[in-house]
Amino acid sequence: MLFAVAAAPLAVACTTEPPPPPPPDPLSALAAQARADAALAKTLTAVPAAAEIARARETHATLLQAEVDRERPPLSSTAPPAPTTPPTPPDPLAALRTSLDESVRDASAAVTSLPAYRAGLVGSVAAGCASLREVLA
Amino acid sequence: MNVDAVQTALGTEHAALWTYGMVSAFLGDQAAAVAEGANAHRARRDTTERWLRDHAATPTPPAAAYLPPAPVSDGPSALAALIAVEQDTCAAWRGVLERTDDPALRTSALESLTTAAVRATRWRKIAGSNPASITMPGVASG
Repeated sequence: MLFAVAAAPLAVACTTEPPPPPPPDPLSALAAQARADAALAKTLTAVPAAAEIARARETHATLLQAEVDRERPPLSSTAPPAPTTPPTPPDPLAALRTSLDESVRDASAAVTSLPAYRAGLVGSVAAGCASLREVLA
Repeated sequence: MNVDAVQTALGTEHAALWTYGMVSAFLGDQAAAVAEGANAHRARRDTTERWLRDHAATPTPPAAAYLPPAPVSDGPSALAALIAVEQDTCAAWRGVLERTDDPALRTSALESLTTAAVRATRWRKIAGSNPASITMPGVASG
């Protein structure tokens, strides 16, 4: 029963023989995270440091996306998906702190496994997020 | 070659340690933070020297003195010297990140880069710099 369910989509996939999709670029996720942080920071108009954080995370997103596109040029000229505006969390400032902590963690985790020429870029993004977190401390 | 990059980073650790000692006379109200920064750089210098010896290299000794980018004569100029030396440290450790595939050295270089960026941000906050944060620590324009 379980086997049948699992095998059915596989059979469909085999008949059409699509080329195996390349694994997603790890920098894509980091760029999306940067865009999400920037979008969240923009909602915090009452926090003085929020504008600075939004600008910095937009810069991170641009640099990361440029590296993603350089290595694997996009097939069409479509821009990366616009960040979907998430519902405003009940405590946006706490959410931004948590989000920056996650960004430091994720970028740091990526640094060890990247090729050397990308490790510097992502290392600076990780340290930049730690710097932004310190501004909010 | 990553030994050269690590020697460069060791040089900035020597300079940072020297600078923290030199500014302490002007930052009496920040004595605890100055001591904390000095201790962090001393520990980093020691582990960096150990890494070099383990890789059959002779650690470059410290210079007798270092030249801060601007003369230090009061609190604000002392803060500027600390900010400059922390940013130099960031650049040197980012240089290591770009030149090694050794995961342990990468981890240690990233930690050095991140902690120096956080200290630089703290000093920039105290100095009233705007923005206080550094968008891309270790990059000349960042």
